Amino acid sequence: PVQNMTSKFPSGPLAKAAQVLARDGPNALTPPKATPEIVKFLKQMIGGFSILLWIGAVFSWISFGIQLAQGAESPFDNLYLGVVLALVVILTGIFAYYQEAKSTNIMASFSKMIPQQALVIRDGEKKELPADQLVVGDIVEIKGGDRIPADIRLIFAQGCKVDNSSLTGESEPQSRSCDFTHENPLETKNIAFYSTTCVEGTATGIVINTGDRTIIGRIASLTSGVGNEKTPIAIEIEHFVYLVAGVAISIGVLFFIISVSMRYKILDSIIFLIGIIVANVPEGLLATVTVSLSLTAKRMAKKNCLVKNLEAVETLGSTSVICSDKTGTLTQNRMTVAHLWFDNQIYSADTSEDQTTQPFDQSSPSWTALSKIVTLCNRAEFRPGQENLPIMKRVVVGDASETALLKFAEVILGDVMNIRAQNKKVAEIPFNSTNKFQLSIHKTDDPNDERFLLVMKGAPERILERCSTIMINGKEEPLDSEKAEAFQTAYMELGGMGERVLGFCHLYLPENEFPDTYSFDTDSMNFPTSNLCFVGLLSMIDPPRSTVPDAVSKCRSAGIKVIMVTGDHPITAKAIAKSVGIISATSETVEDIAKRLNIPVEQVNWREATAAVVNGMELKDMSSQQLDEILCNHSEIVFARTSPQQKLIIVEGCQRQGAVVAVTGDGVNDSPALKKADIGIAMGIAGSDAAKNAADMVLLDDNFASIVTGVEEGRLIFDNLKKTIAYTLTKNIAELCPFLIYIIASIPLPIGTITILFIDLGTDIIPSVALAYEKAESDIMNRRPRNKRKDRLVNEQLAIYSYLQIGIMQSVGAFVTYFTVYAEQGFLPSTLLGVRVNWENNAINDFEDSYGQEWYQRTYLQWTGYTAFFVSITIQQVADLIIRKTRRNSIFQQGNKVIWVGIFSQIGIALILTYGLGHVTALNFTPLRFQYWFVAVPFAILIWVYDEVRKLFIRRYPGSK
Amino acid sequence: MSKETKKPFRQSMTEWRQFIYNPNSGEFLGRTAKSWGLILLFYLVFYGFLAALFTFTMWVMLQTLSNDIPKYRDRISSPGLMISPKPDTALEFYFNKSDAQSYAEYVATLRKFLESYDDSKQSQNINCTPGRIFDQNDVAVKKACRFNLSELGQCSGKEDKTFGYSKGTPCVLVKVNRIIGLKPEGEPRIQCASKEAGMVEINYFPPEGLIDLMYFPYYGKSLHAHYLQPLVAVQLAINSNSTKEEIAIECKILGSPNLKNEDDRDKFLGRIAFKVQMTE
Repeated sequence: PVQNMTSKFPSGPLAKAAQVLARDGPNALTPPKATPEIVKFLKQMIGGFSILLWIGAVFSWISFGIQLAQGAESPFDNLYLGVVLALVVILTGIFAYYQEAKSTNIMASFSKMIPQQALVIRDGEKKELPADQLVVGDIVEIKGGDRIPADIRLIFAQGCKVDNSSLTGESEPQSRSCDFTHENPLETKNIAFYSTTCVEGTATGIVINTGDRTIIGRIASLTSGVGNEKTPIAIEIEHFVYLVAGVAISIGVLFFIISVSMRYKILDSIIFLIGIIVANVPEGLLATVTVSLSLTAKRMAKKNCLVKNLEAVETLGSTSVICSDKTGTLTQNRMTVAHLWFDNQIYSADTSEDQTTQPFDQSSPSWTALSKIVTLCNRAEFRPGQENLPIMKRVVVGDASETALLKFAEVILGDVMNIRAQNKKVAEIPFNSTNKFQLSIHKTDDPNDERFLLVMKGAPERILERCSTIMINGKEEPLDSEKAEAFQTAYMELGGMGERVLGFCHLYLPENEFPDTYSFDTDSMNFPTSNLCFVGLLSMIDPPRSTVPDAVSKCRSAGIKVIMVTGDHPITAKAIAKSVGIISATSETVEDIAKRLNIPVEQVNWREATAAVVNGMELKDMSSQQLDEILCNHSEIVFARTSPQQKLIIVEGCQRQGAVVAVTGDGVNDSPALKKADIGIAMGIAGSDAAKNAADMVLLDDNFASIVTGVEEGRLIFDNLKKTIAYTLTKNIAELCPFLIYIIASIPLPIGTITILFIDLGTDIIPSVALAYEKAESDIMNRRPRNKRKDRLVNEQLAIYSYLQIGIMQSVGAFVTYFTVYAEQGFLPSTLLGVRVNWENNAINDFEDSYGQEWYQRTYLQWTGYTAFFVSITIQQVADLIIRKTRRNSIFQQGNKVIWVGIFSQIGIALILTYGLGHVTALNFTPLRFQYWFVAVPFAILIWVYDEVRKLFIRRYPGSK
Repeated sequence: MSKETKKPFRQSMTEWRQFIYNPNSGEFLGRTAKSWGLILLFYLVFYGFLAALFTFTMWVMLQTLSNDIPKYRDRISSPGLMISPKPDTALEFYFNKSDAQSYAEYVATLRKFLESYDDSKQSQNINCTPGRIFDQNDVAVKKACRFNLSELGQCSGKEDKTFGYSKGTPCVLVKVNRIIGLKPEGEPRIQCASKEAGMVEINYFPPEGLIDLMYFPYYGKSLHAHYLQPLVAVQLAINSNSTKEEIAIECKILGSPNLKNEDDRDKFLGRIAFKVQMTE
């Protein structure tokens, strides 16, 4: 077949290559169609809240139009209101857009990688080309450490192994040869795939697919087929908008009917209707929510969680299932020696990230012998110039196992390279898949010992076959069946922990047979390779990150199910799952129960098993009902040997259960699942661009533990948004009531539109944001994730409490101030009732007050009323802020310094508006007599006391309705 | 997130019905009658308490006020002017001098307005010294000064029952707004002018539109019960060529340094503008 292919695609003249390149396009993955910036920008302005404000703005303009046509006195208030509403949406949109663009920029900096080069044979010449210039038919050469530049069919391979983890998730290197071994291109040994890496060996191959037509390209394109889901917070905000709209329209229609039956003109009634609806729009909330979310996003970024989409900040908080990758996220992504077996005993090694010593007993002479083999029978080397780096951080040339052994030896013994130099290597047989061992012969560093030392490592059973003795406490003892049995037990035990086990043996070659000058020939093997002395076993694993077990247990107490989804072997996956607590110490899988009871797996009642390890092969044959059953019935699940498509299926399965699913991933293969997830979390260091693009969040340190921080922040912001909304809704009533009373009782308008805007967008903004700094009231990581059907951001209780209780109290307080101002200026409350029409008629120039004075100019008095009302609401909002700070705890139980900033800013802004800007006509403020600031204070205190009593009841009788 | 499957219509209807009234638990709109009763009781008590509190604070506040003068008078320091009769719509007079119906309302308004100036109503009023502020600060019972209707001459309505409307010389009364404690300085007088020259000749009663200082200060409704504010009648003799044309007239208060009449933004401070259009 190779001949066929070469004739079909001659690696011919350059012109041909250029032609093919023009036809197929560059050999690179088309980045997912980036949303145009303008669309991203506009999207910021059409969310749930923004729609509410837009409707408010349009209504205001309609109202303005009607009033202008009527020739009413001050129609421009409505025009300004509409403009301000629109401005709020636009400015908040710009802010949110800017925030998200900033995160995107941080991510973009990650993706600036050096362009990949490929070694190509064209026109019979070897040359380095940028990988994106490759075309089908090119012949490329690859060697250990290279990334495969395209899908290639191998025509020559020597000891070639590839790491297909970016494609399959499986990190075990697979060997590649020129032999066609399987119909399925994914299974056959003679194809190497784009984006995978060649771990060792060399190979030459013909490019068969480039760019998006490669296997990885096809997986990446799956991503675009997966729709984006609405974030939970977006759903909550939508619910809130419905609630507000419902209240607005109900009150509006009710008062429309009232005003019509009070014989107001229909047009006036319509203006009232619109006025009421618009008055219900919480102008400041959009800005507050956006700012609060971005504050949290900033806080999370400091803790290594970079959020791409502001709304995703909260999603982690409502997450109930995390589907986590194993390699790199839960584990350190490097092989590390975990256990040793010598002298018939298993020793554990330290596998933490920053080990500097090893604690196990190193006094036995057997260890001395073993350590020598580990040091010498190893081809891995440190890259030079890293002497100052900690050992675990140094870069090593060599495969994963040898690297592990090298670092292990370096930690215990010190300068390995020096030891090797002192024990000069005279011959070596590298590892190959037929022998399954590696061998080298050295001169020893003992000047009195002229013997050569033969050291060998490899698959334990193969090594044992070649041994006749075994070293116990430094003495060679015959390898009898009892000792062989002990070896088997140890081997099984280490293997059962999912660890890769290697056996080590040695032999001192007799001096007489192998004198100093003896020439070793590795081809003819003119030296003994049997009857060796078995020394010990070492087992290695990619160990969990040390922070992960704690993080998993935190997730568990937070009611979040952690599911491991990996391409790795089930045994390894299970072992890691156990060591990090994804499968807890006490729970068993069906297989475990079967083993314990000694019955076949089929007879086990699977309901008894709390844990499950599901193999990708089993998953392939499962119906979605079966998958649902597994997801429902097991609290601890590990999916092993899964393919990218299966990851997507698992995510969908969890979502069918009503769970909010977070998915972590790094490879291109993960991107469909990342996109499908409610929140996709990509790895910042190891993650591919495709994964980062599909994700909503990026973990800058690739650490699972950072997710827990994110969960905590997400839950906190949800709680705090609740407080913010409660705070904002309350004064809405105090702003709406005056208008309603104005319609019904026909009193002079107590507070004007512009003044209301100064509350919503002036005094109340900073306090609302200050609530976002509120700390958690109880341990939020000890409660279950919120039930997205029941635990709403704004529920009826909160709305009723804000609207019908606190809001009404505020209104009463503000009205007292209003009536006081008018009464002290000469208009007693009884005089004010029913005066609306004459009061607003500018042709009536001698409006008589309660004392017989005649008023021609009532606007300033009306503005004084506005200012008084404004000041009263502000004062009472301070009380509102204090009560909203906590939902259960007393104010005395919980402090928050930022709240003080909120309170001072609120009063400060009010002072500036009334005294500083009191003479600016357009703002409708007047310098207010100082005593009016205190009229509402008793009401503010009343609000606070009332709420403290309520909280006391809640703490005393929790759970009652 | 999986989309919630849509419930069949019938099922959702039953659910709604269950919500509105659930016969099993006796729940109405999700709550039992007892629960609703308690909620109602709570709000009754809650709002009752708030209403009581509101009433109480208002009562306390009203106790601090004097019956005689308002606590603050800083929002009206200088008076505005007002005319009578005041047309319904804007300050615009339209009438036909030969059609009594067209000005009947103006005449009725003037008549009603001047009722309180009738001699019979002024029996308790005293004759004050003209040209001097009538200070009564030390007197418990404040006297009101007499304002003789005859001062209004042809506009008093005595000789001409139509106040000149039938003759094409309509009268408009100009008054200065009552402000408690206001003491004008100098010699305040009303002066009117038409923007269009030669269309109208303006006569004043009392002559020159003088406002006598003896009518000041005003002590408020309760102390100064019979107080009558001084009036100036402005008679507009409309030129016979200027009928059918709209004549804009502006009256100002002049001659008193503490009565302001120039404020760009405030067109009623010490002045008033109105329009007259007469047809034949």
